Amino acid sequence: MPLLEIRNLVVRYGEIEALRGVTCAVEEGQVVTLLGANGAGKSTTLRAISGLAKPTSGDILYDGKSIAGLGPEAIVRMGISHVPEGRRVFPGLTVKENIMLGASNRRAATSEISREADAMFDLFPDIRKFTNALGWTLSGGQLQMVAVARGLMAKPRLLLLDEPSLGLAPVIVQAVFKIISEIRRNTTVLLVEQNARMGLSVADYGYVLETGRIVLGGKPDELWGNEAIRAAYLGGHAKVSA
Amino acid sequence: MDLALQLLFTGIGIGAVYALVALGFVLIFRATNVVNFAQGEFSMVAAYLMVVAVEAGLPYWAAFIVALLGMALLGVVFNLGVYYPLRHRTYLPVIIATIGASILLANSVLAIYGPQPQVLEGWFETPGIQVGPVYLDSQYLLIIGVTICLVVFNFWFFEKTLLGKKLQATSQDKEMASLLGISVSTMIMITFIYSAVLGGLAGILVAPVLFVSIQMGSTIALKAFAATIIGGFGDVAGAIIGGLALGVIETFGAAYISVPYKDGFAFLVLIAFLIFRPQGIFGERVAEKA
Repeated sequence: MPLLEIRNLVVRYGEIEALRGVTCAVEEGQVVTLLGANGAGKSTTLRAISGLAKPTSGDILYDGKSIAGLGPEAIVRMGISHVPEGRRVFPGLTVKENIMLGASNRRAATSEISREADAMFDLFPDIRKFTNALGWTLSGGQLQMVAVARGLMAKPRLLLLDEPSLGLAPVIVQAVFKIISEIRRNTTVLLVEQNARMGLSVADYGYVLETGRIVLGGKPDELWGNEAIRAAYLGGHAKVSA
Repeated sequence: MDLALQLLFTGIGIGAVYALVALGFVLIFRATNVVNFAQGEFSMVAAYLMVVAVEAGLPYWAAFIVALLGMALLGVVFNLGVYYPLRHRTYLPVIIATIGASILLANSVLAIYGPQPQVLEGWFETPGIQVGPVYLDSQYLLIIGVTICLVVFNFWFFEKTLLGKKLQATSQDKEMASLLGISVSTMIMITFIYSAVLGGLAGILVAPVLFVSIQMGSTIALKAFAATIIGGFGDVAGAIIGGLALGVIETFGAAYISVPYKDGFAFLVLIAFLIFRPQGIFGERVAEKA
């Protein structure tokens, strides 16, 4: 049984049908990447899983139980942590406080949470020196690190990462993906990426979304091997080894 | 000079009341992005609750506790009845609802208690003490003391506790807060209860100095609103300093320039700020936090 299974998911924003029957699955222990162009429905899929978007029809099964229609507070308590697009680090709180609030989904003493947040800097050494800096003072790459660290504080079984490379310099993108390959040792990851090359480099499985539908799914090398798909979604004809 | 010191004391005393109500404005504004136009009515209702409880024969301290508990309850009812049903709408319906609630509260009290202003005794038997040239009225001392305690508490609560951080997170980004498992509706409930109690405290403390009347709420709220603008809208420290400054300015204005125009000075300062420094004293910090 997959950890996460999405069946025929439809999400509407008013008149617009953002998802038109998405079906996909994430096995426990895997990194699965959702690829697709802007507006294909990648973020909406994640928002539906974490409870920010209400499904119109279809079902989302987590660990065999339906979570479709539950609120975000309930879903994160079940172990699904969503690091949304745009980082969304609280600008008026410090880095440490932001990271500590990531544990709001579980019961733990403040001193324990504080210790765990300090330990988080071992995984993200680049932001350790900003421990007491306010969120708004950080750069994009630093914000991304804080956002991922905060997401991990929930101790998720499933981590949803939305466009972690967006707007970052290539060297920072490398650092972020190095962290994702660290995370995957004990957490299942569903990753949304526009940067197909990076997205597939860490993935066990990939799906391609097009205007609200999954048009293709496969192992990274299978996706690379599909000429038409590569041309349309994976960035040109250049021969790349994944 | 002696007169100036005396005026400074009185001004800070009345300014502390504005500061407490202004703090209530700011906390609700930060949590819900809406100005609660019934904030002044919280002070008025609390003062009447106090009058009722004292007339019922309760000792002063017990009446005080009853009135504050009543305010906490009003905070709950206000949140559930006025804010919660409209929380997914734009700010406009919510603002109108708070104005409606303010009219409802004022007229309910009018219907029950009639238009005659009531008198509430002060907390202390001793009217005050003479320290050198300055006469320290005991009620003003109480107001200043309670305000200092509350400002310290407020700082500790929001800066040093995890719950305070969750409240701040909620006011900065509700959707993200909910993604982390923070119960946004609980945080907003806490904010309304806290603001109602703050406004209530201000009303109870100032009641022995003024008369307890239906209009006291709107008078205090208008000054407190001016104080938040002077301090920088949405800024906690700004609300407190703005409130104190306004109290001092209007007291000096009344003594040295004109007593009948006492209320005018507060608004003169407000207009000057709106023209020359609309972001208020602490304006930049607000912009950074936005």
